[in-house]
Amino acid sequence: MHKVKTLRFKTGIGFFLIGLCVFFLSNVVDEWRAFQGATVAVYVVAIASIILLTGYSGQISLGHGALLGIGAYAAALAQIYAHLPIWLCFVTAVLVTAIFGALLGVAAARLSGPYLAGTTLALAVGLPSIASQFSILGGEQGISFNVGWPPLSLGADFTQYKWFFWIATIAALIMMWFLQNILSSRYGRMWRAVKSNSVAAELAGIGIGSSKVLAFTISSGVAGLAGALLAMTTNNVSPSVFPLALSFSLATGAVLSGVNTLGGVMIGSLALVAIPEIASSASNLWSESENTAMILPELIVSALLILTVFLAPKGPIEKLRARHRH
Amino acid sequence: MFQFINTLLIGITAGSIYSLMAIAIVLVWRSTRVINFAQGGLALASSFVGASILAQQISFWIALPIAMIAGALFSALTEYFLLRPLLKRSGDKGEEIFLPIIATLGLLGIIKTILNFTYGDRIGSIPPPISDKGFVVGGQVIALSPMRILILGIVLFLMVLLTFLFQRTNLGLALRASSYSPEISRLAGVRVDVIRTAGWAISGAAGAAAGILQTTNGSGAISPESFEFSLLLVFGFVAAVIGGIESLIGAVLGGLTLGVILAFILMYIGGSLVFFSAFLILIVILIVRPHGIIGVKGGRRA
Repeated sequence: MHKVKTLRFKTGIGFFLIGLCVFFLSNVVDEWRAFQGATVAVYVVAIASIILLTGYSGQISLGHGALLGIGAYAAALAQIYAHLPIWLCFVTAVLVTAIFGALLGVAAARLSGPYLAGTTLALAVGLPSIASQFSILGGEQGISFNVGWPPLSLGADFTQYKWFFWIATIAALIMMWFLQNILSSRYGRMWRAVKSNSVAAELAGIGIGSSKVLAFTISSGVAGLAGALLAMTTNNVSPSVFPLALSFSLATGAVLSGVNTLGGVMIGSLALVAIPEIASSASNLWSESENTAMILPELIVSALLILTVFLAPKGPIEKLRARHRH
Repeated sequence: MFQFINTLLIGITAGSIYSLMAIAIVLVWRSTRVINFAQGGLALASSFVGASILAQQISFWIALPIAMIAGALFSALTEYFLLRPLLKRSGDKGEEIFLPIIATLGLLGIIKTILNFTYGDRIGSIPPPISDKGFVVGGQVIALSPMRILILGIVLFLMVLLTFLFQRTNLGLALRASSYSPEISRLAGVRVDVIRTAGWAISGAAGAAAGILQTTNGSGAISPESFEFSLLLVFGFVAAVIGGIESLIGAVLGGLTLGVILAFILMYIGGSLVFFSAFLILIVILIVRPHGIIGVKGGRRA
């Protein structure tokens, strides 16, 4: 922990550079790439929330897609019924999801790995169908969430997707900065202590239950923001935006990033966006049936998942670090 | 009153199928302390085996056992090639407890792509082998049909078979022993690794039976992207937890309880709340009675 100061300085510069890169990137890429960039930023936020939960606090969630859904609906409802300005909609998404996460966390804190995984899976399966029960949520069609056109001051040729890209990137950078800080604060140390040896942590005076609930609450809040951002890119919130498959892809992204290192979050997010793209161009190359393009991404992702579990269980970054040390 | 009895009958039939899935989950948990999140996928693959045999105009009574054998094989292969090396590698420290979970999720993805590749848009069909029209009692059609009686009969038969296997055979004794204490069993000459694979195989067979019966009881059709089977996994898990996850009897009771509760919610409250209620029931059970409703004390640490 003696490195904390230099680390913060370095990460500060890092964030600035990433922001600068994205700024220039957004000016040269076409609409589709800008949309993909926005998606990557959304995944960064979502995967970071899982890494915080699993890698640092030792709790597993297979149902983060459901939490994203809650954030998205909260943001959309805040816009439609309370007519809040758009940034307040995002704040609402964070707060509402965090409250839900706190409730869930109280139950989760008492559960060990497989139970928590099963419980969050049950949430991911069960929650989307609620949208059909209450008419305020718009059923299968869902409700709209519209962040509006980019402000005119940015210029007339500033496109919609570029605007999404900007919003998502800025949100992602703020969140990553926040998470970096909280993980190097006493809460971060508390979580790591509880994860690595809960008995010792308890003897050191750490409240295990409350530390886990706090981690779940923060993780949920961050996931809620990711959900609102995702809804922004689709202009719409409906159960089909948050299927069970989303929860699985997020868990996959977290594993590919390496759940123990927040810094790896870009790897998983890029992989989730790039693999379908690469797979579809690869299958076009072989000019086989459309079916191949549909199933190839899932095959690659699943194979990567199993390979990661065997070859780099602590994630690619830790693997590289371990190699450097020897 | 009429509707009440009908709902009860629907619940018991659905619940008996959840019981089978719960048994599959319990058996895997008892043999390797892992929840197999690919259990639904394995059941789906086995059901496709059953469906392709039925497509050759072969009887349901041959398709069901063959699907169960296929399920046993799939499950045993999973244990042998995926979980065993993984658990050996991560050791008993259990520090990376999420690894088996992630590995089974990866397997689920691979199963789905294989099914998608083989069947594509084609759906497998497992029609009820006998009439699924309800009996007529006093001029009204009740929910009990020959097919539902058959489902209950098959489930009951498999339960009796499993009970016999566990209580009266050497394999059953070895299964119970190596679940109770792998170390002591190893010292007593039980080949724990082989027994674990056997536990997974039985679990796979139970899961396959659950998959086939669920399909005949439901839409009669299966597709590679089936949501039904994710539900089956979740309901099986909830049922297993209600029963305390260690006990086979508990799994059966848990399945029936869940089936009946969900049937009443479906009938009297609203269809779209059924899935979410399963989650709520799970949370309530885990908080109020973490060792399950039949209360095997010390059975698990929450």
